Amino acid sequence: MRLVTDGGSGRQKTAQGGTGWRHALRRMFGMPDYDAYLEHCRAAGHEPPSKGEYLAQFFESKGKGVRCC
Amino acid sequence: MTRLASILLWGGISALGAGAFGVLALSRGETLSAAWLLTAAVCTYAVAYRFYSKFLAARVFGLDDRRATPAERCNNGRDYVPTNKWVLYGHHFAAIAGAGPLVGPVLAAQFGFLPGTLWLVIGVVLGGAVQDFTILFCSLRRDGKSLGQMAKEEINHSAGITGMLAVLFIMIILLAVLALIVVNALKASPWGLFTIACTVPIALLMGWWMKRWRPGKVGEASIAGAVLLLGALVAGGWVAAQPHLASAFTHSATAITWMMVAYGFVASVLPVWMLLCPRDYLSTFLKITTILVLALAILVILPPLKMPALTPFASLGEGPVFAGKLFPFAFITIACGAISGFHSLVASGTTPKMIARESDARFIGYGGMLMESFVGVMAMIAACTLDPGVYFAMNTTPTGLAQASQVLSQAGFVVTPDIMHQLANQMGEQTLIARSGGAPSLAVGMAQIFASVSSALGGRTLTALWYHFAIMFEALFILTTIDTGTRVGRFMLQEIVGHVWPRFGETSWYPSVLASSAVIVAGWGYFLYQGVVDPLGGINSLWPLFGISNQLLAAVALCVGTTILIKMGRQRFAWVTLTPLAWLVTVTMTAGWQKVFSADPKLGFLAHAASLTGSTLPGAQRLVFNDRLNTFVALLFMTVVTVLIVTSVREWWLVLSKRKVAVVHEAPFVESAYAAGD
Repeated sequence: MRLVTDGGSGRQKTAQGGTGWRHALRRMFGMPDYDAYLEHCRAAGHEPPSKGEYLAQFFESKGKGVRCC
Repeated sequence: MTRLASILLWGGISALGAGAFGVLALSRGETLSAAWLLTAAVCTYAVAYRFYSKFLAARVFGLDDRRATPAERCNNGRDYVPTNKWVLYGHHFAAIAGAGPLVGPVLAAQFGFLPGTLWLVIGVVLGGAVQDFTILFCSLRRDGKSLGQMAKEEINHSAGITGMLAVLFIMIILLAVLALIVVNALKASPWGLFTIACTVPIALLMGWWMKRWRPGKVGEASIAGAVLLLGALVAGGWVAAQPHLASAFTHSATAITWMMVAYGFVASVLPVWMLLCPRDYLSTFLKITTILVLALAILVILPPLKMPALTPFASLGEGPVFAGKLFPFAFITIACGAISGFHSLVASGTTPKMIARESDARFIGYGGMLMESFVGVMAMIAACTLDPGVYFAMNTTPTGLAQASQVLSQAGFVVTPDIMHQLANQMGEQTLIARSGGAPSLAVGMAQIFASVSSALGGRTLTALWYHFAIMFEALFILTTIDTGTRVGRFMLQEIVGHVWPRFGETSWYPSVLASSAVIVAGWGYFLYQGVVDPLGGINSLWPLFGISNQLLAAVALCVGTTILIKMGRQRFAWVTLTPLAWLVTVTMTAGWQKVFSADPKLGFLAHAASLTGSTLPGAQRLVFNDRLNTFVALLFMTVVTVLIVTSVREWWLVLSKRKVAVVHEAPFVESAYAAGD
């Protein structure tokens, strides 16, 4: 089974933390990354949402996260 | 590395750590360098990570890189995304590190630097990091399920509900305590209040920038926000120097309490992108940068520790910062940094959904918690570099200071009004007396460390600027926790009420949003107000309640972890979670019992209430009511956790005695594509 990761497929891309330091920083700080999501949708054969829809869903989901004391 | 070289290396690290502990334990009266503390901590972390976490990963959990993680199987490009372990380490650390590891050690410095440091180092290695790693592993094998869901599935339904209620109650106390720290830092401080007030329009601007003006450009918006924040910090100094402007930003603790309550409500009902997310980004950047800079500064200047290894309050139990002896109160005062139940919510939240390989859980779960402990050790160092007299004057009320004056002078902890006045001038404040809560004393310690570095580099010391930078840094991420905590509490309340009134459970139905936000804010707002008007300073009663509740949540997490280990047939390794569980239950139940039933009015809620009965003092009736309320809360926490422990023990007995078939609710094995390589 071959599964697609955020920045491409397989071990190499995951080891790089996406497709570069920008993606890595975005992920580390929990920022939205629409380009990586488009890449994911393309590889998975999904119809991607618009950037506005993606951002709205992303921020809404971030608001449910827990920050520790 | 050859076996001999490895033995020599790890033998050398162990000997160095043991030597540093020896110096810390045996020195009495001499001024010690912070280098000893850092060496002891870092060597212990290294040995624990190399050996104990490896044992947990390989023998206890049996991490298997051939098994696809939820991030790989459920990859949706958003929540479930396989992520590089270093990137995820940063993400996880930013989520677990808050005010707790900074404030707890500062308060526990009342006992001297040794007890708190030992608990930070030993507690994390055998307890905190084990809890985080265990829950991360359990959630990883269950598609990233939450602690409550795991309790429901692996123990039983009522355990799940009990766990959820425990989290809700704990959240309310936690938010009140954190808000109290901010109130104590900002009262009568125009510079601090102005800077923090500016963070609201800055966050709104950032929200508009990244959502409307330049959608998704969070990095740009955050850089702009950080620049504006530093501008606000500098402008705050100017505002404080203008009498007419300073008066507009000089407020009492009560007035700031109402501002906090209003802020919490507004932040909970506004769309997340408008205030919560931008503030979260800003505080994450600031938190990681400041912690790195503080670590570097401490390593560069290696400040001497002025606080002794042990103070008389360790055994007397009548400390001016908070009442109670070293055992059990040192172990509940420092929660985050040693072991924090709240971490189990993060370890069963976003992190397990992003792990690419099972073996990464060791670095992220165990390693992430070691780093938080290191932050706690740095906070301990910052507090212990203060002159002890100054430390005690800052962290108690004038009455408390007067009552402890004999012990303080016998211990040689002398402070005069002139010294405090001079220090306040140096920090750009009107007064630093009775600034309890830990944040201001940590800020003074940090300011002195940063000022020493800037002075050593040939620049101006800028002590007042550094002090307010430290206050802003602490207040900013405390407010972020208040934003997110109030919102998460609101979701939980909506979910609970939604079981009986489904419409209320709709998170987008505005009447429900407003009503549930109001209930949560009223809950923590009441405890905050109670702390602010408390003649003993508030921290004295609220911080132990917070510590007890947080550690009891850790007990809940360890119960879930133990149950899963037993059901997996790894009962011979159950001691890895049972040992910290037994310790936590002993410590928290003892502390809870003493807080409720101690005959000492400074310590026991009921004794304090009895001492006020019939009193004609203004507000005496309210204080009596608050004592009874705190009694109820402490007993409620203890009861909830006792129920959960009894339920868990019953489950263990049923499984071990073969009266019940052990059903493990793990996701089925799917082979990982990563294991095979590309």
